[in-house]
Amino acid sequence: MLTKKEVEKIAELARLKLEEKEKEKFAEDLSLIIGYIQKLSEVNVEKVEPMTGGTDLESVTRQDDETKVISDPEMRKQILDAAPNREEDYFKVPSILE
Amino acid sequence: MNLKELTIKQAHELLEKREVTSSELTRAHFDEIKKNDGDIHAFLSLAEEEAIESAKKVDARISKGEPIEMLAGIPVAIKDNILIRDIKATAASKILENYTAPYDATVIKKLKEEEAVFVGKTNMDEFAMGSSTENSAFGPTKNPAALDRVPGGSSGGSAAAVKAGFSVYALGSDTGGSIRQPAGFCGVVGFKPSYGAVSRHGLMAMASSLDQIGPITKCVDDAATVFEIIRGVDTLDSTSADREWQSYSDKPVDIEEIKFGVPREYFTHGLDPEIEKNIKSVISKLEKEGAQIEEISLPYSEWALAAYYIIMPAEVSANLARFDGIKYGRSKINKNEKLQNLLNIYLESRGEGFGAEARRRIMLGTYVLSAGYYDAYYAKAQKVRRLIKQDFTHAFKEVDAIITPTSPTTAFKFGEKTHDPLSMYLADIYTVSINLAGVPAISIPIKEVNGLPAGLQIIGNNFEDIKLLKIAKIVEDMSK
Repeated sequence: MLTKKEVEKIAELARLKLEEKEKEKFAEDLSLIIGYIQKLSEVNVEKVEPMTGGTDLESVTRQDDETKVISDPEMRKQILDAAPNREEDYFKVPSILE
Repeated sequence: MNLKELTIKQAHELLEKREVTSSELTRAHFDEIKKNDGDIHAFLSLAEEEAIESAKKVDARISKGEPIEMLAGIPVAIKDNILIRDIKATAASKILENYTAPYDATVIKKLKEEEAVFVGKTNMDEFAMGSSTENSAFGPTKNPAALDRVPGGSSGGSAAAVKAGFSVYALGSDTGGSIRQPAGFCGVVGFKPSYGAVSRHGLMAMASSLDQIGPITKCVDDAATVFEIIRGVDTLDSTSADREWQSYSDKPVDIEEIKFGVPREYFTHGLDPEIEKNIKSVISKLEKEGAQIEEISLPYSEWALAAYYIIMPAEVSANLARFDGIKYGRSKINKNEKLQNLLNIYLESRGEGFGAEARRRIMLGTYVLSAGYYDAYYAKAQKVRRLIKQDFTHAFKEVDAIITPTSPTTAFKFGEKTHDPLSMYLADIYTVSINLAGVPAISIPIKEVNGLPAGLQIIGNNFEDIKLLKIAKIVEDMSK
């Protein structure tokens, strides 16, 4: 069973603010799910290579192409306009250094 | 002639023969939406004006005697996590309530080249996380086949739209069953292509190593038509595969040459005995017609759901980190508050914007990736995933296709599984392995169980999507 403290720690890492009453519910839910996924301990995976993605393709690259997407001025404007706070072409955030 | 029951092929022929115009076809579907979507709630937004405009363009071309593309002038519904430029894309989340897509997904670009008519954006579980659409921030969708029941999920709105005659076909996305399970619940066809067959550029990423876009249609032929248009390599999705594809219209497969595998692990505890009976009856019909049937084993199936519920949330927690209240979406940023703390903007924007299931999965993913647990959970799950993939590799050395149920039950009632996340997760028990292995699979409707649709799943070998569709066509004919 996860403790309330552990839930708070995970929520902080995940950048999620939780209400007090949610913390207990999450502790309960997550404990149940973690209990279930521990089923994997039954499987012997000695000498098995991890499958790290959905494809066996390797190092897929492409040429930079400035005619593509973002050079579209209308799209560029739309993307920047979606920001809640900006200055010219920059996203604006509170300062993080004193 | 009932316009809302037309398949793509039928609609295309009628348009070409000028027996119906695209405007008539489009209006007929909007009439249906106006009549019934108040009850069903398949759509989060509609694009009626744009749709009529596109339809008129196609009509003008037809009246000039120009040949038209296969999907031209035919109404399609798009899951709300796929971007259509200048149309709202919320993924059924409050955090994107007011977000308008600044570009087209690659699949949308391809449909636009076909001059498809976009009816609107369909409801779903928030960010495609769920099996019932009950996790939509904007209220659930009802199953058109039984209004007191869920349509499945996460592409529940897309499946419901096709079933209800709101669109001729739809696009959905499938991370662990999200196309196939709702197709099964609603009584339509749902196809998840091989991982890498269809570009995901412009699909909001949920679990990137599992996500795939695919069609929801009224028949297998239509699924093949849409697939052949949306597939293909794309420089904007580096996981998309560059390959030579067979054509669906090439010679059909001969039933006597097909060997079906029936995995014993999929016919055990938890499976509704009536669904089992109906699937077995299709199997014996196939056998009678000359197909070979072989019982097979996929021994690691038992651990697929556990591996899935580690890998998927881990990727979810990384992918959803982009919703931070800074770049777009709901934000608690306060322009006038100079002393506002950046961390608090993250915490509050995300805490308020994400629904319960999204938060649960972000938390779970964060936990399995965190220091001290990574090896025990995430690294372990990746190894089990390899074993699950090997199960399929071995099986396809022996058989051409694998037949299973799509889901252990028919559509359940609203609220039946919302109190217990694990019971909801079990709805995907027969579909998640396919995404872990990356292979293609299709759900087709079979005989109903107590008046409710039921689905049969056929799984094919990696990148043998066309062969799978040809086989599915045969099974579809047998199931009628």
